[in-house]
Amino acid sequence: MKDNNRKSKRNQTGSNDELVNLVNNVNRKEDLDLNRRAFLKATAGASVALGLATIPFSVHAMIGDFEDKENRVGIVKLSELPKGSSITFNYPTDHDPALLVHTKSGELKAYNSACTHLMCPVFYEKEEEVLLCPCHKGYFELNNGQPLAGPPQRELPLIETEVTNGIVYAVDRRYRHG
Amino acid sequence: MGKKICWAIIFLTVALNVVMLQWAIESYLGHEFEKLYQFSIVALLSSFIALIAFLKWRRLEYSQ
Repeated sequence: MKDNNRKSKRNQTGSNDELVNLVNNVNRKEDLDLNRRAFLKATAGASVALGLATIPFSVHAMIGDFEDKENRVGIVKLSELPKGSSITFNYPTDHDPALLVHTKSGELKAYNSACTHLMCPVFYEKEEEVLLCPCHKGYFELNNGQPLAGPPQRELPLIETEVTNGIVYAVDRRYRHG
Repeated sequence: MGKKICWAIIFLTVALNVVMLQWAIESYLGHEFEKLYQFSIVALLSSFIALIAFLKWRRLEYSQ
């Protein structure tokens, strides 16, 4: 008789009986929100969002002023730049730091010197004939600007040079080269 | 087209759009704008396909 009374009170509101706690779904809201249907809805939404995320880049490319206009800038007299040395300059604008290297073999190599990883300045390592970004140890090939080691994934923008009357000029810039 | 196919299409479009977004950013930073437009178009088409697949799945799922 006593057991029967206890049983009948088990499902009453506010009961301390353990069974009530077992059947009460404390995570009901999560069960409603995090289910198979909600997962697919979120996945479809993510797919659409990822696709739409490419639009700002295209729009900016269409309306932005990205044309590298013919821009001839004198850098340095060749006689003042011995083999195995480098000099910094800005090209094509004052906000684009660049590096001109006179290699040990006598070639002139120029690149924008902002590392393609996180824009740290890149330096010429004379001993190993490489370009080094000291921030995260990114190495670039001196002859073509391609990344050799470290985090950078893209090559340094190449600056084409000309020597006229003993003066080195920067004449053009190419982002993708080789 | 069954519900499982809709699921597969949606997941494939997610994978494709991740790659397209990565390539689009690389093209933008490399000033390769022709490629950038191509990747954007592919991504938008993929998004449209994902939307169609989702609507189809929803109709099948909630009609039972």
